[in-house]
Amino acid sequence: MCRNIYIALTAALIISGLWLTSASAVAQQRRVRVTPEIVRMGAFYGGATVRVEGVTGPDEKIIVVVRGPKVTEVFNQSGRVGPIWVNSGKVTISEVPSLFLVFSSEPVNACLTRAAIDQFGLDLTALQKLMHIECKTRDCGRVAKDYFFYKKMQGSYSLVNGGFRMSQPDPGAVPCATYTLEFVLPRCAAPGQYQVSVLECRGGGVVVSSDVPLQVMEVGFPALIAWLASQHASSYGILSVVVALLAGFGIDFVAARLFKRKVAGH
Amino acid sequence: MWVVLPVAGISNLLPLLVGVGAIVGFMSGLFGVSGGFLLTPILMMIGIPPTVAAASDSCQIIAGSSSGTAAHFRLGNVDVKLGTVLLLGGLTGGWIGVRVIKVLRVLGAADLTITATYVVMLGLVGGYMFIESLGSLRRGALVPKSHPSTPGQSLLSRLPFQADFPRSQVRHSVLLPFFLSGIVGILAAIMGVGGGFIMVPMMVYLLGMPMHVAVGTSLFQILFTCAGVTYMQATANHTVDLVLALLLACGSTIGVQVGARVGRRLRGDQIKILLASVVLLVMLKMAAGLLIAPAIHLTPVKGH
Repeated sequence: MCRNIYIALTAALIISGLWLTSASAVAQQRRVRVTPEIVRMGAFYGGATVRVEGVTGPDEKIIVVVRGPKVTEVFNQSGRVGPIWVNSGKVTISEVPSLFLVFSSEPVNACLTRAAIDQFGLDLTALQKLMHIECKTRDCGRVAKDYFFYKKMQGSYSLVNGGFRMSQPDPGAVPCATYTLEFVLPRCAAPGQYQVSVLECRGGGVVVSSDVPLQVMEVGFPALIAWLASQHASSYGILSVVVALLAGFGIDFVAARLFKRKVAGH
Repeated sequence: MWVVLPVAGISNLLPLLVGVGAIVGFMSGLFGVSGGFLLTPILMMIGIPPTVAAASDSCQIIAGSSSGTAAHFRLGNVDVKLGTVLLLGGLTGGWIGVRVIKVLRVLGAADLTITATYVVMLGLVGGYMFIESLGSLRRGALVPKSHPSTPGQSLLSRLPFQADFPRSQVRHSVLLPFFLSGIVGILAAIMGVGGGFIMVPMMVYLLGMPMHVAVGTSLFQILFTCAGVTYMQATANHTVDLVLALLLACGSTIGVQVGARVGRRLRGDQIKILLASVVLLVMLKMAAGLLIAPAIHLTPVKGH
């Protein structure tokens, strides 16, 4: 009797051990990888290609969201006074990300229910519910629409359906699929801490959500100038004036010699 | 080739920035205007944040105007004495203008008043200059114009502090250029532009300065005004991007040299008609902005 119990317990331990190992392997495989994790803006930086890759279940749809830090922006709003368009007042918009890029393997509203889209803030309608608008003009109704249009034109906001490379699961192996997304981080993405969120969706809901930080930082000469401008403003102001004067007189000196030589040559 | 603009925190095309600077510099050298009215919107159009565009614009104007002033100085086109009076008047006017705009904003509809006034004024100045220059060109440059003495002129000649300005070949009370540049300074501060467009016609038509000397003296005055603005923007707002300013300056300093030399080959009337055309174009653009509904009703606030 004791022996049977011992055998049963040993079998249960082995089975649970195997299950845990397998679960851990899947969890390990699900890990999201973003490369590079730090985007370095050197003197001649012209945007960077970021790669997001990971493993998901075979039936799951993927949404990748890149969000910048929250910002507050102030705008002049145009309004009509008779036949004339003039600035009718200031509008302050806050609680909005500086950058908002959404990439999905299928249209977002085909992957998730409206409630889930709102919960994770995955489209402009959801973003509009989160944004705060301080407006004292007569035409406040169209502020959000105009703001999103402006950000799209600027390249800071974009919603893209597709762009993923999915690999089919191997028959007989752990049922999973790998995905890869490559996108160009817009040049307007200023230095700061960004967040890459990967949402694995099934049945209208989010099954797994992973967040990976993505840092954009200035290095080398641009970093030095930015530091001088913010930390030593007075010296930087004098330096700016002196450098600009030297550049102007320097070019004039060169141009004067050049033109004289040409005249002498004639 | 891309280049990072450290204070703006973004990158942009290097040849594009140098090219934009060259175009504005050419206009600066030819007409004696700072070009700020043109450069700041172009920079915003190519993705530079408005606050950085406005502040860096002032910094690059220092380079362009110092190069232009030096070029005009060698050609004998800078009246330092009259330029100093105009500078003092402009600074005083600018100081008053900042306070006037505060009052107008409290009263409401300030933007409408300012923009409409500017459109009317540019239209009047540009229109008068255009017609007058066209008439001169038709008459021929060799026909001397007679200026009969008017009661207004005799009144002005009785003002105190009369001084000779030999470089400009005029004699005026110091109060007259001081007062007139003060008005331009008020308008420049209200509109957030350099004011060269008003200053140069004012020097030519109201102070009687030769066109070439007006252009050189205007650049001389702009140099000092922008040096002050750059320092203030750097310390108060931290928005001067030296890399952006230098790239624009590379283009503008070359452009201003070419502009100054092209200007030397043109007659005063020809420069006047060109400047009048640009003034009228700016006026038409502003008038269109007042009458045509914008695609987006939001425009980022500039950091003046």
